[in-house]
Amino acid sequence: MSNDALIAELSSGLAPVRRRSVAREGALLLALCGMELSLFLAMGAMRPDMNHAADSPYLMWRVGSLACLAVTACAVAIHSFSPAARTRPGLTLAGTLAAAAIVAGVFVAPSGTAHRALLDRLDPASGIVCATSIVVLSLPVMALLGALMRRAAPTEPRLSALAAGLAAGTCGAFVFAFCCPFNDPLYAVVWYSIGCGAVTAAARWCLPRRFRL
Amino acid sequence: MQSEFLSRLMPRPSLDAARVSRERPARTAPDEWGQLMAAAQDGHGGAYRRLLAEMSAWLTRYFTRRLPAGEVDDAVQETLMAVHRRRHTYDPRFPFGPWLAAIAKNKWVDQLRSLARHPDGELSDDVAVGDHEASVVSTSVLATLLEALRPAQAQAILLVKVQGYSVEEASSRIGLSPSAVKMNIHRGLTRLTALIEKTPDVE
Repeated sequence: MSNDALIAELSSGLAPVRRRSVAREGALLLALCGMELSLFLAMGAMRPDMNHAADSPYLMWRVGSLACLAVTACAVAIHSFSPAARTRPGLTLAGTLAAAAIVAGVFVAPSGTAHRALLDRLDPASGIVCATSIVVLSLPVMALLGALMRRAAPTEPRLSALAAGLAAGTCGAFVFAFCCPFNDPLYAVVWYSIGCGAVTAAARWCLPRRFRL
Repeated sequence: MQSEFLSRLMPRPSLDAARVSRERPARTAPDEWGQLMAAAQDGHGGAYRRLLAEMSAWLTRYFTRRLPAGEVDDAVQETLMAVHRRRHTYDPRFPFGPWLAAIAKNKWVDQLRSLARHPDGELSDDVAVGDHEASVVSTSVLATLLEALRPAQAQAILLVKVQGYSVEEASSRIGLSPSAVKMNIHRGLTRLTALIEKTPDVE
């Protein structure tokens, strides 16, 4: 087929299209996260001592840094779905924020935790449950971001998938932070990182498959 | 030595060609194409036809400097179809040039990947070994990029993919076995695509 014939075919019977809107996609993501958190808390999953722990520095650190990371990662992911967007600087920013949050965790550890044995602090049996919960909670967000990515036009699909995975993982971790009864920042850093890392790796592997502009 | 080999096969483009190589859609029609696309998004077929025709000419120049001659038409049509499928993602508040250039670059990489998957694939008839002028123009950007590859990879890609020699002919000219030539083409093109993807603006 010649270029002229292709142009004639593409332009004949042209239907109007609904323009992609970053604000609409952000609102959708926010609504999904809000709905997931509400459902999760309505099921009675919130930690029982939330009234006392709410103003503790370790819970504020955990929820605050995860909220900050989730918002940044979601913004980077949605921005990366535009063809002309550069994803790498956004991912670097998210990585820097994560590193800063981990360092800040050193200063909010509850008293007495430093004297406990490492294995006792990590509690692998509970940690695996926490990491698995984060993965499960991140699935709806990952599905939504995957659908948005396929409908948009990312020209760096592997980096976009990485950003989408990070966004889904941090959203899942943010929701889970309201029910996790462990206060030790070391525990949170290790198991939440494993959960988020697993989601990011899965998104990086799954989302760009068979994707073509 | 590699530069010598490259310049023997593909002399540097003339000043005119260099001027063309710096041309970008944003400079040729900064707002007009954006307005046409905005009209096309609202269902205006005439505006869309004009936009596609003008884009097609620009894309032909773009890919002529980046791909072997036989791949240019495919790349142009693939890009036009991608623009059509993704036209709802263009935001009229921003310039049209970078939007189109990003899609074109993506299709360039796709086309190089497809060449890498078929290192001994047959080239179409319009790749003429004797058409020296065409090969000079056709690879002005590619020639610069090939300098980043190992000499054996660059030579194999130039002979088979740009000059149109068969793998056997290239193997006797380079002095390597046909399978080594195929491997060099595959690895060279794979490295080239990675290089283009990492570089924000290849000119």
